[in-house]
Amino acid sequence: MATVHLTSLTKRYDETVAVDDVSLDVADGEFVTLLGPSGCGKTTTLRMIAGLVEPSAGRIVFDDQDVTYLAPRVRNIGFVFQTPALFPHLSVSDNIGFGLSVKGFAKPAIAARVEEMLAMVDLAAYGKRLPAQLSGGQQQRVALARVLATDPRVLLFDEPLSALDKNLRDSLKYSILELQRRTGKTAIYVTHDQSEAFAISDRIVVMNAGRIEQIGTQTDIYLHPRTPYVAEFIGANNGLPGTVTGQEGDGDGTRILVQAGNRALRCRGRDGFAPGDAVIAYVRPEDIEILDGASDQRFENVLEGTIDRVIFEGPTAQLRVEVDGRELRVDVSGNQRLTLMQRDGRIRLGFDAVTLIAAPVPA
Amino acid sequence: MVGDRVSVSLSGVAPEVRRRERRTRLVGLALLLPAILLGLAFLYLPLVFTAQMSFTEGSSYLAPTGPVTTVDNYRVMIERYLPNLFVTIQLAALATLADLLFGFPFAYILVRRVRYRDIVRALMVFPMFGALYVAFGMGFALLPGGPLDPILSALGIPNTAVLFSLPAVVFAMAIFTFPFMVMNIGTALSNVDPTLEEAAACLGARPMQTFRRVVVPLTRSGIVAGVLMVFGWSIGAFAEPLVLGSLNEQRSLALTIYERGVVQNDYGLSSTMGIVLLLLAFVVTYFSLRYSRGALAA
Amino acid sequence: MSAISEPARRPPRITSRRIVAIVSHGYIWIILGLFVLPFFTLLVHSFEDRGGSAGLANYEAALSTFGDNLVWSFKITGLTLLLDLAVSLPAGYALVRYPIPGRRVVFSLLQLPLYVPGAVLGLALLLMYTFTYHSVSMWGLVLAMAVGSFPLMLTPIVVALKDLPVTFEEAAQCLGATGWQTYRRIVFPLIGPGVSAGLLLTFIIVFNEYLVTLFVHPTDLETAPLRVFNLVRTNGLAPSTSALAVTMQLVSFAAVLVFFRVFGTRHLKGTYII
Repeated sequence: MATVHLTSLTKRYDETVAVDDVSLDVADGEFVTLLGPSGCGKTTTLRMIAGLVEPSAGRIVFDDQDVTYLAPRVRNIGFVFQTPALFPHLSVSDNIGFGLSVKGFAKPAIAARVEEMLAMVDLAAYGKRLPAQLSGGQQQRVALARVLATDPRVLLFDEPLSALDKNLRDSLKYSILELQRRTGKTAIYVTHDQSEAFAISDRIVVMNAGRIEQIGTQTDIYLHPRTPYVAEFIGANNGLPGTVTGQEGDGDGTRILVQAGNRALRCRGRDGFAPGDAVIAYVRPEDIEILDGASDQRFENVLEGTIDRVIFEGPTAQLRVEVDGRELRVDVSGNQRLTLMQRDGRIRLGFDAVTLIAAPVPA
Repeated sequence: MVGDRVSVSLSGVAPEVRRRERRTRLVGLALLLPAILLGLAFLYLPLVFTAQMSFTEGSSYLAPTGPVTTVDNYRVMIERYLPNLFVTIQLAALATLADLLFGFPFAYILVRRVRYRDIVRALMVFPMFGALYVAFGMGFALLPGGPLDPILSALGIPNTAVLFSLPAVVFAMAIFTFPFMVMNIGTALSNVDPTLEEAAACLGARPMQTFRRVVVPLTRSGIVAGVLMVFGWSIGAFAEPLVLGSLNEQRSLALTIYERGVVQNDYGLSSTMGIVLLLLAFVVTYFSLRYSRGALAA
Repeated sequence: MSAISEPARRPPRITSRRIVAIVSHGYIWIILGLFVLPFFTLLVHSFEDRGGSAGLANYEAALSTFGDNLVWSFKITGLTLLLDLAVSLPAGYALVRYPIPGRRVVFSLLQLPLYVPGAVLGLALLLMYTFTYHSVSMWGLVLAMAVGSFPLMLTPIVVALKDLPVTFEEAAQCLGATGWQTYRRIVFPLIGPGVSAGLLLTFIIVFNEYLVTLFVHPTDLETAPLRVFNLVRTNGLAPSTSALAVTMQLVSFAAVLVFFRVFGTRHLKGTYII
């Protein structure tokens, strides 16, 4: 049980900066996910928290203890790697007992704890086997049991599911969450998979190029991405640059009016925008609907465009629609995707209030 | 929190980090130290001593008047012992050539066709037990009534022409070093995707063309490494010329070093020969290490 | 009817493909035959009747005094292997896991002893032993063997460590293991096969070493291969000597077979046996 505080954490390798001034506070028992593409510094950050990589600058504090320069073995952390990293020459039981054994616990105590851990991950009958005799999912569960056996202060996960196939990933991510909830441990989880992050986190930290782009809950990040990078990373691919012209409504119904080219768009209300501000309005491909004429009234925003291309992908179809010289992507599912096959020419698109982000000032 | 900032030095790296990096580097060097000391004390230092000795006259190092410094040994080496150097290089070159000619097909078949590779590996270690046994056994094999006798007579070569001759020495040397050639070429070959050869064949290349224009260029590094390695080992040949050679082959430098140095106690001259042989070996080794993919390579 | 019942044309018995296969495998076996030819001629001649004794009597006669030489050989080889291990295990670990400045150059310099001709190494050590230490001792011989052979131990260790994902060590550390615990309980067992490959290679080379030994052996110490060498030099192609040479090769080959059985050949990768 512990809180984790990162202060201005930085890692430089010669010329490159892998992690740049990262500060983050994780509450006791919280499940925080570092989300970002490969090379964004999320794994390096995690490895610094574990002590496997030394920071070039900054502080790491667990509770009140400064652990910045402590060796991993005295930090009392549990690290689950991308691969299960089970010691191939030791049995499952010896793997789970390894942490207690190197700390000098007595054999009976270790055996009891191993039993308990095996039961916890539903592998009670597998103690005598060698890791190679287990499936990938079972191995990763043993890896979980192995770190939990030492009763660590913080659980650290480095893309633990990326080496597994899709079905296993889905079931195992909930096992991880369930074990974390049951043990009440603080957890920091690294992944590049947005849906994985959304499914299990209390809070998500989106990282890019070594920096934190945004920290927030799923809805914060999904509905109010703070930067164009976050918006695009979580799938809002259609960006329409424009200028704020005004505001109307109040409370949840607040709408900011944006002039994008010769279109007026109604965007979800948010503080900090004034008329004249340059903004980008983002709308997700799956949030756009194709209008057949009768239902126009249902949507706050309606655009008209020309179909460029229809890409049929089986369960869904992808539409590329040109609107005022800008290509929008529209994802269509259900029956509509079948009728679209024959469509071309002009088309009308409808969508509700869109996400708004301050546009980066052109350099 | 302000206090924390202070510990960050101007260059942006905390002194604590520097200290730990330095410590890690020291631990690494400490772990290397025994190996470095062993090499220094029992290889590099003796070699330097030998180099020094090569500039003293005969066994004058032992003389009560102290060592006599001279460059005579190198003059003698050039005037009288160049043929010995030539024989050394000649034997090594011929053995290397034989290994290359017979080793490439062997490696190719081994990598591409042979499934019983463990048997091959097991039998291939026999030459590695030492040139002495190879030379000794070959001597018996070439004797009248030996297993190679009928083959030689079938080829119309009189037995006596082979035993105690240059071909016999080269033959034994080639067998001793053959595994090294096969290892280098085989490693290079196993890194070449067989589909490249199939692709060449499908594009209409004849087998010879595929071989010359696809296989050889792709394995060049292995061939070069193998040639240099075998040559480097062969210039030190000792037992083969001694057991199987005539007086001509027995002039090889390694044998002469022993004769002059240990038997006749001419330390100066034998050191000179040692340095010459060493320089030859190091030149070869330098290129060999450059071309071979060492264990540290990615 | 006839068109249907007629048996399909058999493929020709001898195709060019088959000929290539036969020639290829034939070639392999001819070369392998040459590899073992020296051994088998020695084996045959070792039973030959010459000078009153024949067959196994040759061995009895030869081995009676050869026992001492074998004991020396095992002793020297054993000590050399221990020394090689003590030097190569830390060095290999440092080379792969620690930030060594000029790593490649250091590794090359450490491998260089392998490429120094035996006669040169022998002469250099002889000169140094006689002129600076004034003695040629058993330990001098062991150190000479060690310096010439430890690269054979180092290389498989380096290869094994490079093939070992660093995650295992990191996992052990995160679980609370000290550096030494990690090395003893995780790293060493996992590179064990690589270490054994090094042991095998060093054993083969050191156990049969006669050239450096010829230069730096103490006068009262004659290792087994040196004895064989001396007998070959003085007696020429004598059957009694071949009995000793056969014994040496059989011992060496037994070591190879034991290794193959226990560890397989995989771990010889990157070493001097493919």
